[in-house]
Amino acid sequence: MKKISVETMDSMKKEGVDTSKNWIKVGMSTCGIAAGADVVYATLLDEAKKRNIEVVIKKCGCAGKCFAEPLVEVNVEGLPRVTYGKVTAEVAVTILERHVRNKKLVKDYIFF
Amino acid sequence: MPHKIILVKDTGAVENKGVDFNTMLANQLRDSGAAEKASIVPVADIGVYDKGLVLRILPDNVTYSNVREADIKKIIEQTVLAGKIIEELSHDGRDKQLRIVLKNCGLVDPDSIDDYIRAGGYQGLRKALLELKSQDKVIEELKKSGLRGRGGAGFPTWMKWSTAKNQKTDQKYMICNGDEGDPGAYMDRSVLEGDPHAVVEGMIIAGYAIGASKGYLYIRAEYPLAVKRIEKALEDAREYGLLGENILESGFTYEMEIRLGAGAFVCGEETALIASVEGKRGTPKPRPPFPAVKGLWDKPSIINNVETLAAVPQILSNGGDWLAKIGTATSKGTKVFAITGKIKNSGLVEVPMGITLREIVFEVAGGLLNPEKKIKAVQTGGPSGGVIPKDFLDTPVDYENLGKLGSIMGSGGMIVIDETDCMVDLAKFYLGFCVDESCGKCAPCRIGGYQMLQLLNKISNGEGELADLDKLKRIAYAMQKASLCGLGQTAANPVLSTLKYFEDEYKAHIVNKKCPAGKCKYLLMYKIGEDKCKRCGVCVKNCPTQAISGNREKGFTIDQVKCIKCGNCTEVCKFEAVAKE
Ligand SMILES: Cc1cc2nc3c(=O)[nH]c(=O)nc-3n(C[C@H](O)[C@H](O)[C@H](O)COP(=O)(O)O)c2cc1C
Ligand code: SF4
Ligand code: SF4
Repeated sequence: MKKISVETMDSMKKEGVDTSKNWIKVGMSTCGIAAGADVVYATLLDEAKKRNIEVVIKKCGCAGKCFAEPLVEVNVEGLPRVTYGKVTAEVAVTILERHVRNKKLVKDYIFF
Repeated sequence: MPHKIILVKDTGAVENKGVDFNTMLANQLRDSGAAEKASIVPVADIGVYDKGLVLRILPDNVTYSNVREADIKKIIEQTVLAGKIIEELSHDGRDKQLRIVLKNCGLVDPDSIDDYIRAGGYQGLRKALLELKSQDKVIEELKKSGLRGRGGAGFPTWMKWSTAKNQKTDQKYMICNGDEGDPGAYMDRSVLEGDPHAVVEGMIIAGYAIGASKGYLYIRAEYPLAVKRIEKALEDAREYGLLGENILESGFTYEMEIRLGAGAFVCGEETALIASVEGKRGTPKPRPPFPAVKGLWDKPSIINNVETLAAVPQILSNGGDWLAKIGTATSKGTKVFAITGKIKNSGLVEVPMGITLREIVFEVAGGLLNPEKKIKAVQTGGPSGGVIPKDFLDTPVDYENLGKLGSIMGSGGMIVIDETDCMVDLAKFYLGFCVDESCGKCAPCRIGGYQMLQLLNKISNGEGELADLDKLKRIAYAMQKASLCGLGQTAANPVLSTLKYFEDEYKAHIVNKKCPAGKCKYLLMYKIGEDKCKRCGVCVKNCPTQAISGNREKGFTIDQVKCIKCGNCTEVCKFEAVAKE
């Protein structure tokens, strides 16, 4: 890395944080990790690769809904952006297959 | 017409019990010939509570609450098929939360400085260094914003900065207070972990404003992930030239370092924190001199809370007036609360100042954990705060209002208390915390706290006298007036405020020898009701001290001498025959 210029800062700001169309974010703060977010994150990375599902998987901080950790936010083109809560490794796989690949929301795990 | 998604949640209304809405909805969709046009997705939480059946239709993004069976046909015909909104069913689904400090938490990857910059980060610093180019102008923006300290006392941030700025010395220091020792509070941890660059940027701007060349981030060692993320943030900011020498080619040079706290509550107090950073034992010193005049290594130093600092970058990039538009006359902006206790959705909420406690508890946080119980009070301000009884739930939350009610805003702990919680027990918990954490340097706190705790123990053991209530008040007064630091000065607050609003409960313990909430175990008795008991014998097996005796013919009884009031018997009895008295 090298020193950043204000021009670069401006153009980055213009592009925004989420530059890819399809992404998944996992809340990886202490509250999330305590509830198993690290396992969910690793499962998502692993399984997406194994199943050839193209999606950007990132970690992020705690969005505040600590009662529903681990939280996984999913944005897939053509579907509303939603947050899944109380996600387990199994649910993570369902999210990849059903939501990301087949473009259908997963029942019973959405938290608003 | 695009494909519709119908999100469904029964948010708990008694009259709807037992209705299978999902099947009903699916059937009606099919009957209206709309089965292909919409899909039904049952969700776990829809952000609306106690409003019966709630439907949200996407992409229209309309929310209908208290939906009855009879309404469904209309919803399908008008909204799903024709895209029209039915006014009388629609629910104002606007979020009462307002995210400023937590804006990036959940949005950016905390380990990525690029994410932070993409989210508009470091624009505040740039504005300060390259546009305003003046310490006074930065302080002026803070003044306009009305930002007050979020660490407890609520002192106007600009005033502290201005005092330090006006000191003429060769060296000044900026310090971030990330000690966060209040039990149940973790707002600061979340910000440090979820958006570390906001704190780093806030620290650089503050350092510039007061004329410091060095900043310390004091973080408790129990927050290893926060420390790791801040370390990475500092490293990356340095690489990008946002920290270190000649920041953004502005000529301003500033360095930062992390110091770990060992988890003593008193080290959150600013003079104790300074001693701790200096490598000495963390005990408070009398003020004045205030740290802004004589602080770290006797140089002018400013200490700000994590949440205060995290609000600074956006104040600079959006302008002070922007924040001043949010909140009440005396308290601007938002406050993050860590809400726990008898609440459905425990977690972090960020709300604009001026929102009522009722809105926070029943709308933002989903209401009581057990809706069949009644709310009794809300505790704010942790061990330095007090309780706000249910009659005052409609009070708009700000520094002054909470103070008038005998509590404080504090750093943001919020505990919801229902009728199963005992106020004497609660006071004992907080006071016990302060007694454990007292540094022992001054007598009013060291001795007074202990004496008060003994009196509370006496009351909850059923040995209290009415005169003890006066003694509690007298010692509390002495502690408030004569303690050296904030810990001792405020330690009695939970006792005083519970006494003020719930004196009856104290008296029930003292005069009737009863704990109305059934919490204080010396005042409880477990008894088996002969009429309800089916003589199954399950409780006998589950009593750890073999206090239950008897047989199937004669029935069972509990020996009160052997009983340790663990409550196992009540829990295991399927017939609710064991009563707590
Ligand atoms: C016993 C005690 C503990 C404190 N703990 C903290 C703490 O954990 N975090 C904090 O920011 N302020 C704490 N404070 C308040 C600080 O002394 C100080 O007022 C605050 O950090 C100033 O920052 P602010 O103006 O941004 O609120 C504590 C005060 C006392 C008396
Ligand atoms: S008030 Fe308590 S914590 Fe503060 S200096 Fe005195 S003994 Fe120590
Ligand atoms: S468990 Fe209940 S019903 Fe069974 S013996 Fe004990 S009190 Fe009676």
